[in-house]
Amino acid sequence: MTFPGLTPAAAWLLLAGVAALVLLLYVLKPSPRRVAVASSLVWQRVLEQRQRRPERWRWWLSLLLALAIALSMAFALTRPELAAIAGGGGDVLIVVDTSPSMGARGADGRTRLQHAAEQVVRIVDGTGGGSRFLLADTTHQIRTPAFESRTAIGARVHQLAPGFGERAWFPELASLPGLRAQHQVWFVTDGVAAMDLPASVRVASVFRNADNVGITAFDVRAAPGDPRRHDAFVEITNASAGNKRVQLRIAGAGGTPLERSLRLAGGARESLVLDVSALGEGPLRANVASEGDGFALDDTAYGFLPGKSRVRVALVSPGNVALARALRTLPRVELQMVAPARAARLVGFDAAVFDRVTPDRLPGVPALLVAPRPTGWLGRAAGEISDTSVSGWDADHPLLSRADLRDVLIDRAIPLRPVAESAIRFDTIARGPEDEPLMLATREGPRLAVLAFALEASNFAQQPGFPAFLANAVDWLTSDAGAVARPLGQIAVPAKARVLNLEGGEVATREVPGASLFVASEPGLYTAMTRSERVRIAANLLDAGVTAVNASTLSSGLPSGVPGVPQEAGRFARIDPWVVLLAAAALLLALEWWSYNRRITL
Amino acid sequence: MFSDAFLRKLDVLALGARNRAHGQLRGMHRSRRVGTGMVFADYRPYAEGDDIRHIDWGIYLRMDRLILRLFEEEADQPVYLFVDSSLSMDFGAPNKLDYARRLAGALGYVALLNHDRVNVCSFAESLGDMLPTRRGKNQAPQIFRFLGSIRAQGRTSLSSALRRYFAAPRTRGLVVVISDFLDPAGVEEAVAVLRRFRHDVALVHVISPEEADPRLPEEAVLVDVEEGSATEVEITPGLLTAYRATFERHAQDIEGYCRKYGWGYARAMTDVPLEDVVLKALREEGLLR
Repeated sequence: MTFPGLTPAAAWLLLAGVAALVLLLYVLKPSPRRVAVASSLVWQRVLEQRQRRPERWRWWLSLLLALAIALSMAFALTRPELAAIAGGGGDVLIVVDTSPSMGARGADGRTRLQHAAEQVVRIVDGTGGGSRFLLADTTHQIRTPAFESRTAIGARVHQLAPGFGERAWFPELASLPGLRAQHQVWFVTDGVAAMDLPASVRVASVFRNADNVGITAFDVRAAPGDPRRHDAFVEITNASAGNKRVQLRIAGAGGTPLERSLRLAGGARESLVLDVSALGEGPLRANVASEGDGFALDDTAYGFLPGKSRVRVALVSPGNVALARALRTLPRVELQMVAPARAARLVGFDAAVFDRVTPDRLPGVPALLVAPRPTGWLGRAAGEISDTSVSGWDADHPLLSRADLRDVLIDRAIPLRPVAESAIRFDTIARGPEDEPLMLATREGPRLAVLAFALEASNFAQQPGFPAFLANAVDWLTSDAGAVARPLGQIAVPAKARVLNLEGGEVATREVPGASLFVASEPGLYTAMTRSERVRIAANLLDAGVTAVNASTLSSGLPSGVPGVPQEAGRFARIDPWVVLLAAAALLLALEWWSYNRRITL
Repeated sequence: MFSDAFLRKLDVLALGARNRAHGQLRGMHRSRRVGTGMVFADYRPYAEGDDIRHIDWGIYLRMDRLILRLFEEEADQPVYLFVDSSLSMDFGAPNKLDYARRLAGALGYVALLNHDRVNVCSFAESLGDMLPTRRGKNQAPQIFRFLGSIRAQGRTSLSSALRRYFAAPRTRGLVVVISDFLDPAGVEEAVAVLRRFRHDVALVHVISPEEADPRLPEEAVLVDVEEGSATEVEITPGLLTAYRATFERHAQDIEGYCRKYGWGYARAMTDVPLEDVVLKALREEGLLR
């Protein structure tokens, strides 16, 4: 016998204490009042006529009943578990797979997660009354798993939803609180998400075939060589078993939506490049429709079509052919060379690039400073370093989107230490092995980007990411960046940012050190705004692994459960012992009341 | 002991007697003896020595014979008042002994008014204090004082008391026993001696309301004030009903015995004013008229 509510010693102590208390109360029971009567003559005659029960026997019967009632109630408080009576008696850990594919609907119109909830209830109902239950999930939706009652487990499992953004993983059994040695672990899954399972885990499959056609890639880019044209790259995957007729539709802020009709074989994938320039600057929404689709989350994807206007950029440099050529290749850039002596008089430019030239004061236009000389308004030199590389960078920063810096080698760099009292606040977006700031970007206020090294002193200009960096820099400096792509789930944005959805509604955020977090549970285009910055975020599923909802390691066709899952438990096996004890106490109480009123007991 | 108003009401009463009086002195009760009196009894021929005042001269003139007119002689009646002074009488509110004292006082006062000879005794386990025969209204204060001096003590043994008292020759008269009759030996055997001496008997049964309809806790130890014995009893409605029935049967047995022999029996509930008992219950019973 075990006592989940108390330690065994405490439980036995409680029972002994209750028994002692009842005994004490009976021993200390006040004696009857003495009443004087004129004569006991008549009383004796009455008592002779009425058969009198032995008082001692009644006293013992009363005591026994009182003890039984008190001990039953005290026993119920300890929540005992009697394996012999209730059956089972071990811990039952049920892990529900909440990976995205569990949201797929089968032919019956119900999601795999709904089937999983039924399966959990079936497992709970089929387990003995002495068991404890603990529910966990693979996307950490249940933050602190704890042993709960059958009813609570049944309610909690219905609160689970397919999770996104976090990799699904099977919980570490050793980390679960209070799991006893004698336990069984059930994993209710569709078998799509690959997970390492301990050997003792029993798998209950809820896999059912589901038709699904989804968008597995979506991106909007400027067409090379023509800054006024933008193309959308769309990849569509048919994860269904059979052929599917698919209708693709891309709509924007203006113009006529683009529509394409495709026929995809089961498991086939097709990529399309479509000119979306006519759809106008703003949000883009791509959608695929197919008959009987059972998974909606990958049917829609969002993007952003940036502005098409050209920007005038001044290159202030003593001479840098490679940089000038790279800037000229950017489709939107209209480049003009400016001599360093005229650096103070930049009029009519949208942005400027200062190559090894440092203006005397803050430039009047957004600027990229390449190897600036430390100066009062910009910052102090933090020493000179040589033969270094980029060891870390902020890939989420708009300047470094799609820019890979891992192979950048630098001969010589003079990192800047921003002046504390300066009004300009910099973020380090790329750093060296010793945490030296190699790339800086202003956090707020006028937009400035700083490269702490000259292009001639590094191989950055020869890296594939350099054109992307320059394009990002021009877009960022001219505030016309596209949308940052993010997967569904929890998304980080700049600290204290307000997040709006496409309809302008505010999305709830959670502040963490250095950032704000919000949850995108379905595809959408979000805008995060701070006082000085606006970031567009295209949150899409775009995961071929998730779209493949039928890529399960388990077989389907288990309409009523799986082997090993108890289907029908005895009616009494589901009753907890403490309920039986309380019922017994109530019954004994009624018996005591009845016997007392009939003067059987005292 | 009594208010003047109550005494004035008693002044008009007399003790009722079922038998002819056997007193030797003149009184107010009809007796078996013939002689001087107011009630005509018979005629008989004159004999020498007869009182010539009783000759019926009308018959002499008509028949020329001397015939005497005889009258029932009115005699006094001995009254024996027995007051139970056992410890069981010292019970209840109002106190039964106090009630019995006053009842005996009232009866004694009425008897003295009617020129009866009044004897008052207390009894418990045996015969207690006795007041020698008193006659005449002026003796009433002595009777009251004697009654006031009676103290409760001992068990009840009516049989022992009556046997001892009537072991001496006593003129046949009215015996009034005022008691709660909680005698373990029973009442019938005790009063048999009265029957043997052919006394006119009246039993006054003094009952306290606590006895007739007790109010007790659910569990009680009943302590007998006479015996000192204790009995633990669980009081139930059924038990109380049975007790009330048994008590009533006890009283009815005594009454039935009295009726069987033509004796008087009256119940005196102590919660009923004494005046009501004396002026109504005892008159209805014929003990007073």
